[in-house]
Amino acid sequence: MIVEGLGGWLSKVGNFSLTLLIVTTYGLLMGAFIERIIAKVQGRIGIPYRQPFINILKNFFKRTAISHGVMFYLGPVFRIAGGIGTLAFVPVIYGDEMFSNFSMAGDLFLVIYFMFFGQLGMALGAGESGHPYSAIGIARGLSQMTAYEIPFALAVISIVIQYDTLSITQIVAAQQGGWQNWTVVTNWVATLAAMLAFLGMMGYSPFDIFLAPQEIPIGPPTEFHSAYLGLMQLNRALFGATKLVLFMNLFFGGATGWVELMIKTFLIYMVAIVIGVAFPRFRVDQGIRFFFKIPTLIGIMSIIYVQMVLTS
Amino acid sequence: MVATTDTIDIFLQPLGIYILALGVGFLIPLVYRVNRNSAILVFFTALLIMIVIAGLNLLAIINGASVMDIETAGIKPPFSINLRFGLFEGACVLAVNTVALLGAWHYLPRLKQHAAALLLYLILVMGINGMVMTRDLFNLFIFIEITSIATYALIGMERTAKGLAAGFKYIMATSIASAFYLLGTIFIYYQTGTLNIDDIIANQQLIIGPIGFIATLFILTGLLIELKPYPANGWGLDVYETAPGGIASLISVGVSAGVFFALYKVLPIMDLYLTSIAFIGGFTFLISNFIGLKQENTKRLLGYSSIGQMGLLTLVIALLVQLDASAHIPLIIGGLFINHLFAKAGLFWLAAIVDRKNIKDWSSIAKHPSLLILLCILLTALVGLPPFPGFWAKWELVMLLASEQLFGWITLILIGSLLEAVYLFRWFSYARNVESSESVEKPAEVSVSFLQQIPIFITGLLLFAIAYVMSRFMNVDNQLIYFPLMAGFAIWLIDRLNVRVKSLIMLLAVSIGGYFLTKDLEGINKLFSYLLIGGGILVSFATLYRHDDRKGFYPLLSVLLLSLATLLRAQTSLEFFFAWELMALSSYLLVMLGRNKQNCDPGIRLGNDQKNDQKYNQINAIKPALIYLLFSLASAYFILVGFAVSYSATGNYFLFSLGDSGTSTTLAFSLLAIGFIIKIGGFGLHIWLPEVYAEADDDFTAILSSVVSKAGIFGLIIIAAHLGVRADIGLNPAYVLGWIGILTATFGALMAVFQEDIKRLVAYSSMGQLGYIVTGVALMSHLGWVSAMYMTVNHFLFKGILFLSVAGVILRTNERFMYKMGGLIKNMPVTFTFTMIAIIAMSGVPPLSGYGGKWMFFNALMDKGWYWIAALAFFSSAVAFLYMFRLLQTVFLGQRKLEHRKLREAPVILLIPQGILIAIIFVISAYPKILIDVISTAIDPWISNTLVWKGTAMQAHYGYWDAPLIMAIIAGAWIAPLILLLLFAKTMKVQKVEQFNIVYAAERPRRPEETHFAYNFYAHYDRAIGFVVRPRATAFWNAVIEWTHSFAASLRIFYNGNGQTYALFIIMYFVGLFLVNGGLAL
Amino acid sequence: MNTLINFPISLIVLCSGFILILLGLWGMLTQRHLIRIIIGFSLMDTGIHMVMVSIGYVTGGTAPIINNAVPMSEATNLVVDPVPSALVLTAIVIGLGVTAVMLSFAVRIYKTHKTLMIDKLTESKW
Repeated sequence: MIVEGLGGWLSKVGNFSLTLLIVTTYGLLMGAFIERIIAKVQGRIGIPYRQPFINILKNFFKRTAISHGVMFYLGPVFRIAGGIGTLAFVPVIYGDEMFSNFSMAGDLFLVIYFMFFGQLGMALGAGESGHPYSAIGIARGLSQMTAYEIPFALAVISIVIQYDTLSITQIVAAQQGGWQNWTVVTNWVATLAAMLAFLGMMGYSPFDIFLAPQEIPIGPPTEFHSAYLGLMQLNRALFGATKLVLFMNLFFGGATGWVELMIKTFLIYMVAIVIGVAFPRFRVDQGIRFFFKIPTLIGIMSIIYVQMVLTS
Repeated sequence: MVATTDTIDIFLQPLGIYILALGVGFLIPLVYRVNRNSAILVFFTALLIMIVIAGLNLLAIINGASVMDIETAGIKPPFSINLRFGLFEGACVLAVNTVALLGAWHYLPRLKQHAAALLLYLILVMGINGMVMTRDLFNLFIFIEITSIATYALIGMERTAKGLAAGFKYIMATSIASAFYLLGTIFIYYQTGTLNIDDIIANQQLIIGPIGFIATLFILTGLLIELKPYPANGWGLDVYETAPGGIASLISVGVSAGVFFALYKVLPIMDLYLTSIAFIGGFTFLISNFIGLKQENTKRLLGYSSIGQMGLLTLVIALLVQLDASAHIPLIIGGLFINHLFAKAGLFWLAAIVDRKNIKDWSSIAKHPSLLILLCILLTALVGLPPFPGFWAKWELVMLLASEQLFGWITLILIGSLLEAVYLFRWFSYARNVESSESVEKPAEVSVSFLQQIPIFITGLLLFAIAYVMSRFMNVDNQLIYFPLMAGFAIWLIDRLNVRVKSLIMLLAVSIGGYFLTKDLEGINKLFSYLLIGGGILVSFATLYRHDDRKGFYPLLSVLLLSLATLLRAQTSLEFFFAWELMALSSYLLVMLGRNKQNCDPGIRLGNDQKNDQKYNQINAIKPALIYLLFSLASAYFILVGFAVSYSATGNYFLFSLGDSGTSTTLAFSLLAIGFIIKIGGFGLHIWLPEVYAEADDDFTAILSSVVSKAGIFGLIIIAAHLGVRADIGLNPAYVLGWIGILTATFGALMAVFQEDIKRLVAYSSMGQLGYIVTGVALMSHLGWVSAMYMTVNHFLFKGILFLSVAGVILRTNERFMYKMGGLIKNMPVTFTFTMIAIIAMSGVPPLSGYGGKWMFFNALMDKGWYWIAALAFFSSAVAFLYMFRLLQTVFLGQRKLEHRKLREAPVILLIPQGILIAIIFVISAYPKILIDVISTAIDPWISNTLVWKGTAMQAHYGYWDAPLIMAIIAGAWIAPLILLLLFAKTMKVQKVEQFNIVYAAERPRRPEETHFAYNFYAHYDRAIGFVVRPRATAFWNAVIEWTHSFAASLRIFYNGNGQTYALFIIMYFVGLFLVNGGLAL
Repeated sequence: MNTLINFPISLIVLCSGFILILLGLWGMLTQRHLIRIIIGFSLMDTGIHMVMVSIGYVTGGTAPIINNAVPMSEATNLVVDPVPSALVLTAIVIGLGVTAVMLSFAVRIYKTHKTLMIDKLTESKW
C-alpha cells in the first residue's frame, strides 16, 4: 500500500470520498429500515426510506438565528470529523485497494482511540449550550463508555494475541478462507465479550439511558438545530455503519464485496436491535455495573482462552 | 622573656582550663563585689581562654603533635591522676566550651544577677572538661559530682515551683546513679589495684568472677543512667522541661557529652555488655522519638529529642566498638555528636527567647523571619538533612551498618529519625502558621532583640562550617553540590528587591547556572536536563504573574531547580542523595509558602471530607507540607538503604557500579524503586500528593507536577538502567513495579473523577499519568522506555499547561470548586483553548502527542506479554475521559455565574509559557520522530534500538503508526465538514443567546446555579463503582498515625512525675541489666 | 582457734555497709517525706563509704607508713591500703555537698509548695 505522488494521494482521497458516500448512504438506509422493523413489531407502518435523507436536507437548509458561541458550533464538526476519520482508518473491503481507505496510517489501536475524538468534541460543543441535559447526557454516556470499554479492550487484546498483529487488514486476512476461520468461530469467547460491549457502544436499549429518547429531548444534542443537527444526523448514520464495519472486520471475517458487507453489518446491527427491542432500559449505574460483571469476566476468559488454547 | 613564654605555654596546656576555672571562678565573687561588669568580663574572658586553650591544643594535635598526657603531682600514672588530651578529647572539649560560651551569652541576663551563678557556671564547664579528659576512674567520679552539684545549684537558682520539684527528682536520680558508679569503681580497684583507666584496661583479665561482673555492671549502670535511657529518664525530662534554656541546653548537650565520653572511655572493659548497651541506646532512641509525637511542651519536646539523640550515640558507639570500626568514630560519632550539640543547644536557646510553652503557640514567630529561619536551620540540622553534619554522619553510619549487614539497626535508626522529624517539623509547622486557632486571643508578638539571636545564629554558622569540613573529610571532592545552596543564599540576599527584579535575576541565575551544570551531560541525563532545567525555567517564568512580594520564594526556587541540576550531574550515590534531599527540603519549604489564608490545625491527620465545604476551606498548605516532608524523608530513607545495600555489595559509591551488586541487586532495586515511587506518588503511597498539589501555590504546583515529579522518574530510569538492565534483575520486581504503575494510573484516574476541587482533580490526574510512565520504565524494553520517556515529556507539556491555566482560573475567580465556576469560555477563551488542547493531548486521542505515547506503551506491553496490565491501561485511559471532560465542562462550559460576568482573560505572563508548550505539543504531534530519535539515542547505551521506521511511519511488532499522515487525515476530516457547515449554515441576523435563553420543558432558570450541572457530576458513576475509590489508603495511613500516637501515649505512662518511681526505675534498670547479662548464673 | 576472732573485721564493715546501702535505698524509695528521703540518701552514702573503707583493709595491717617496721618489699602485705581511705575522704566531702544541696532544695520546695511530700511534686510529667 504505497501511495506515491500528489496524484496518488488525490486518487486516494477520491476513493475515500466514494467509500464515505456509500457507507453514509447505507447507514441512513439501514437506519430507516430498522425504524420500519421496529414499527412493524409495534404495529405501526413506520417511516419511508427517504425520510432520513429528507430530514438531513431539511435541517441543512434551515436557517439559524442565534449564536451560542464558537465551541458550540465546532461540536458537530468535531463529531463528524470523528466519524469520517474513523472510517478513514478502517479498510472497508478486503482485498480491494480502492476501499482500503487510509488504513496505512495506523492500526486498530488508532481506530479505537480515534473513536473518542468525535465524542469529546461533541461533548464540548454541547457543553457550551449551557443546557444541563446536555451535560447530564454526556456524563452518563462517558461513564457507560468506560464500562463497556473493558470487555471490548479485553476482547481486542485477545484477538491481537490470536492474530499477532494490530493491523486490521491483517486481522481480516487471517480470517479468509471460509466461515470456519472467522473470529466468531475460532475465538468465540472474545467475540461474545466484544458483542456485549457492542450493545453498549450502539446505545440501544438496555444501554440507551444517556440518550434517553423520551425523557430528555435527545440527550447531548439537545440544543443543536439546523445544519448542526444535520451534521449530527449524518454522523450518526456514518459512525454507526463504521462501527459495524469494524466489528465485521474484527470478528466476522470482513467482506470482500459491498453485498457481503451489507449483509454482515446488517446482521450485526440486528443483534443490537433485537436485544434493544426485547429488553427494558438499564439505569446508568446498573448498566455500568453490568459491564463490570459478566462481560468483563468473559473478556478475561477470552485472553486466557487465547493463551491456553490458541497459541499453545 | 623565655620565662614568660614558658609560663604562657604552661598556662595554655589543657590543665590551664582547670586552673582558670578554679582560680578565676573563685575570684569572681570578689570582683563582683567591686564591680559587676568587670566580673562579667572576667567570666567571659575565662570562658574564651578555655576555648582558646582547647583550640590551640587541638590544632597542635591535628598538626601532628602527639597525644598529650598531663600528669599531676609529679608522679607517673597509675600512682597519680592523669589527664589526656587527644584528638577526640580536644574536639569534644572545644565544642563543649564553645557551646558553653554561647550559652553564657544567651543566659547572661540571669547569670549576672548572682556572682555565685557565674562561678557555678565556670565550675560546671570545668567539670565537663574534666569528665572528658581524665583517665582516672575515681577522678571521673569527682568530676561527675562537681558537674552535678553545679547543675543542681544552677537549677535551684530558678526558684519556680516546678523547677525545684524537677531539680529534686534530678538530684535523687543522679545521686543513685553516682552511688552505683562509686561502688563499681571501688570494686574495680579491689580487683585490679589501680584506678587508672589505661591500667585497668591493660589488666582487665583481673576483673573476673562475680565481683568483677558486679563492678563493671555498677559502673555501666551509673553512666548509662546519666545518659537517661528509657524508661528510667523521667527525671531528666522534667529538668529539660522546667530548667531555663541556658541550663537545660548545657545539661542536654554539655553534661551528656561528658558522660558519653566517660562511657566511651570505659567501654573497653564492657565487652560483655556491648549488645545490651546497643539495645538500650537503640531502644531509647526509638521510644523517645515515639513519645515525642505526643508532646506539646516545647522544652519537654526538646528533652525527648535530646534523650533520643543520646540514645542514638550510645547505640552507635556500642556498635562501632563491637564491629571494631573505630576508624569511623570521628565521622560518625563526631558528626552526630557535634550536630546534636550545636543544633540542640541552639534550639533550647531559641525556645527560651521565644518563650512559648506550647508548640501550638509558636505561631507568634510566624511573622518573624529571622527566628523562623533560625528554627528551620536548626531543625533541619537536627533531622540530619543536608548540608549539615548529621547528614554526613548518618550516611556514613548507614553505609557502615549495611556493609556489616546490620539492616535491623538501620531500620530502627531510620524509623526513629523519621519519628523525630515528625514532631520537630510539626513544631515548625505551628511556627509557620500565621494565625493559630489554638488560643482564643491572638498570641502576643514575640519581641526578641537582635543581640539575643546572635548565639543561635553562631551555632547555625558553626553547623554549616563543620558540615563543610566533614564533607571534605569524606572526600566529597565535587564542590558543585553546594552550588544550589550558594545560589539560593545569593538570591536571598536580594530578596528585598522588587519582586519583578528579583524573579528575573533568579531566572537568569538559574538559567546560567543550570546551563553550566548540565552542559556536558549526555544520554538520559542530558535529556532530563532539557526537561528539568529548561522546562523548569519555562514554567517558572509563569511565577511572574503574581505581584506580591513572595519573600523566600525565589531563593528556594533557585535552590530547587539547581539541585535538580546537581541531581542530574551526580556521579556517586552520595552526590545523588545529597541533591535529592536538598530537592526534598527546598520543595517542602516552597509548598509551605503556599496557601495560608485560613488557619488550621497542622496536625498530621490526612485527608478531608471534601463534601463539607466549610471544613475543607480550612485546609492550608502547612499540613500538606508536613506530610510531604515526611513522605519525602521516608522516600529518601528507602533510597539511602537501597544505596547502602548496593554499597555493601560493591564497596564504592559510583552510580555506574550499582549494577555490580550481585545477589543484592533485587533488594537494592526494590528499595530504591520504593523510594522513587513514594516521590512519584505511587499507588498506596500517593496520599500526600493531592493535598500538596492542591494547597501549594498555584504556579508552584505547576512546577511540582510538571518538573519536580520528573526527578522521581529520572531516579527510576537510572536505577532501572543500572540495576534492571545491566544486572538483569529477575522479572519479578519489575513486574511488581509494572503493576504498581498501572494501579496508580487506574486509581489516580478514578479518584480524579470524583473531585470537586479543580486542583485536586488535576493533581490526581497527574498522579495517574505518572503511573503509565512507571509501568513503561518497568517494561525494561527499548520500546517501553521510549514510551516512558516520550510520556514523560508529554506529561511535562500538558501538566505544565493545565496547572498554569488552573492558576489563571483560580486567580480570576478566586474559587477552587468547579461547581462554583462555569461558562468561563466567554471570559477566558485563550485559557480554554489551551486547556482543551492539553486535555486532548493528555487523553491520547489522535492526532495530538498523547496518542504516540499510548500507542508505544500498548505495543510494548503486548510485546512483553503483560496483557492484564494492558487491559487496565485501556480502562484507565477511558476513565481519564470522565475527569477531563468534567474539567472542561464545569469550568469553561455550561452556565456562567453572575458574579463572573466581568472576569478578564488570565494574565499574559501565564499564557506565554502555555503557548510555548502548546507549540511544542503540535510539533511533537506532527513529527514525533524528532523527539523519539533523541530519546532512542539516549537509551541506546542501555538497550539496543528496536525501532523500525518506514518513512514517517513507526513500525512495531504488532502495529504501525504514521503520525504526520494521521495529522493530515484528521485535519482534512475536520476541515471538510467545517467548510460544508459554513456553506450551508444559513444565518439570519445572528442574535447572541442570552444566558438563560435555553429551552427545556418550558422551564426557564433564573440563576445559573439552578442550571449548571456540575456538583457531584458523576453521581451515577459513584453509585456504580465508587466503592473502589473510597479513600482506603488515607484511612489506612490515618489509622497508622492514630495507632502510632496512642502507642506513644501508652509508652509514656512511666513518667508519672513521681521522683520515687523514677528512682525505682533506675534500680530496676540495674536489676534488668544484671539479669539479662547472666547475673543469675553467678 | 575461735572462729569469731578469725572473722575479719573488714567483712563486718563490708556487710554493714551493704545493709546501710540497702536501707538507704529502701528509705529513698518508700519514704514520701523529703527529709526522710535525704536521710535515706545519707544512709546510702555512708554505707558506700563503709564498703570503700573495708575494701582497703588488710587484717592485722598497720598504718601505711613505710619505715623500718614495714620494709618496702613487704609493704603490700603488711599495711592497710591507703588509697580507699583517701577516696573515702573525698567521697564524704562530695556526699556532704550533695546532702547540703538536697536540704536546701527541701527548704525551697517547702516554701513554694507548702509541702514536703514527694508525691505532691508531680507538676511535670508525661
